[in-house]
Amino acid sequence: MNPVALISGGGNGIGRAVAHRMAAAGMTVVVADYDHAAAKQVRGEVVDAGGKADALSVDVAVAREVKALVADVANRFGRVDVLANIAGGSFYTKRIEDFTWAEWKQVIDTNLKGTFLMCREVAPLMQRQKSGRILNTASNYGITGSALRAPYSAAKAGIIAFTRSLALELAPEGIRVNTVAPGPTDTPRVMEKETPEGRRQRWHSAIPLGRTGKPEDLAELYYFLTTPESAAITGQTFHCNGGLL
Amino acid sequence: MRLQNKVAVITGGAQGLGRAISLGMGREGAKVVVADLQAEKAKIVAGELEALGADAIGVAVNVANETSVNRLAEQTFSRFGRVDILVNDAGVYLKSPVVSKSEEDWDKTLNVNLGGNFLCARAFVPAMRKQKSGRIISMASSIAHTGAREFADYAASKAGIIGFVKALARELGPDGITVNAICPGSANTSMPRSHRSEEEVMARLRATPLGHVLEPEDIAGPILFLASDAAAYITGQAYNINCGTVMI
Repeated sequence: MNPVALISGGGNGIGRAVAHRMAAAGMTVVVADYDHAAAKQVRGEVVDAGGKADALSVDVAVAREVKALVADVANRFGRVDVLANIAGGSFYTKRIEDFTWAEWKQVIDTNLKGTFLMCREVAPLMQRQKSGRILNTASNYGITGSALRAPYSAAKAGIIAFTRSLALELAPEGIRVNTVAPGPTDTPRVMEKETPEGRRQRWHSAIPLGRTGKPEDLAELYYFLTTPESAAITGQTFHCNGGLL
Repeated sequence: MRLQNKVAVITGGAQGLGRAISLGMGREGAKVVVADLQAEKAKIVAGELEALGADAIGVAVNVANETSVNRLAEQTFSRFGRVDILVNDAGVYLKSPVVSKSEEDWDKTLNVNLGGNFLCARAFVPAMRKQKSGRIISMASSIAHTGAREFADYAASKAGIIGFVKALARELGPDGITVNAICPGSANTSMPRSHRSEEEVMARLRATPLGHVLEPEDIAGPILFLASDAAAYITGQAYNINCGTVMI
């Protein structure tokens, strides 16, 4: 049986590239996304490319949805070998005094609580298997902070510390937990808000490699962290940002 | 094979981690220059690489000596015509408390571990710049983050490597050259055995969150990844490989 990779936020951007990378390596991918049409689209792309995939809906910030998702995956496949928590986003760019409590909670819950909920439901399966790899997603902003993205930066820093704690908890069962921290990446969501020229002006002088990241750059790192080559790596943060940070 | 026809230079390539890296590069299709202070051992590893079907040479080098490093570069270019990957693994590990550490030991540790990175980068970067591509991967250590009693010079040299790598990554990024460091925890090599009993070494190696003994191959794997096209967008990083013992 193929290893099973559950990918939250798999319908777009980095998540979509990760779904393609894992499927190309022979994993059955479960594309889970808030946007069901996007998840189905990626499932179709993976299947067309000769891979195995399923598409499911989930709002990772809602405990009962996450529970139902993981129960569904367990019923269909009986196991989860790789969990990639990629669902997230900054949603807003504004000053701290302009954030409402609801907006704050939306950002923290989608990024940080969503990661917690997915890990809480999937970890018992991995503990029974005595194996598994969990990949959480932070951001360069989780280290540097970002003016106008206070809740996002807080959530991403939280994910780094959460990952370290979970890595220590799950290490005795042979489960590895790491964080990937993308820098500025050309995802559809980001590109909607910016012109390529504006993006070049904003980033290229700050990034030693002279370009923003592609989802595929990140997907290679997520994949590496699932392979036996990374067997001795847990609790770590892997930046992939062209040298920005 | 991920490194087909790439030319890789591995300093300290004849023993321990360096040997695992040399063999891993060869298995991935690279042509390998095994460079080591111990020329005979370097030639033995080059022979092992040839037995695997890889093109390889064993070369003597003292990475703390300018003339010797420049000779290594000349030998690399005359045999293979280019360099794609430089792995700086040559290092020394000398135990003594700071108050009684000799100036000779201090100089040796800093000159070999940190100075060797500088001299090797200086010798190989011009060729990488011309081709607008290259990978430099330097061996730092968990000890750069944690320190280690009676290894203050070693800790300083390894932390220095991380700073050097980050600066060099900024300098060479525009030329398409990536520069990264690896920070391994204590591994199952001769190094920890230089100052501890066998029992003590194995007990310490097993006492990690993953309960997995860190083997040279565990460190070679991530280095092969960083050397490959898959890591094209990763530069200026210091990646930790330590079975969960240090998280920073």
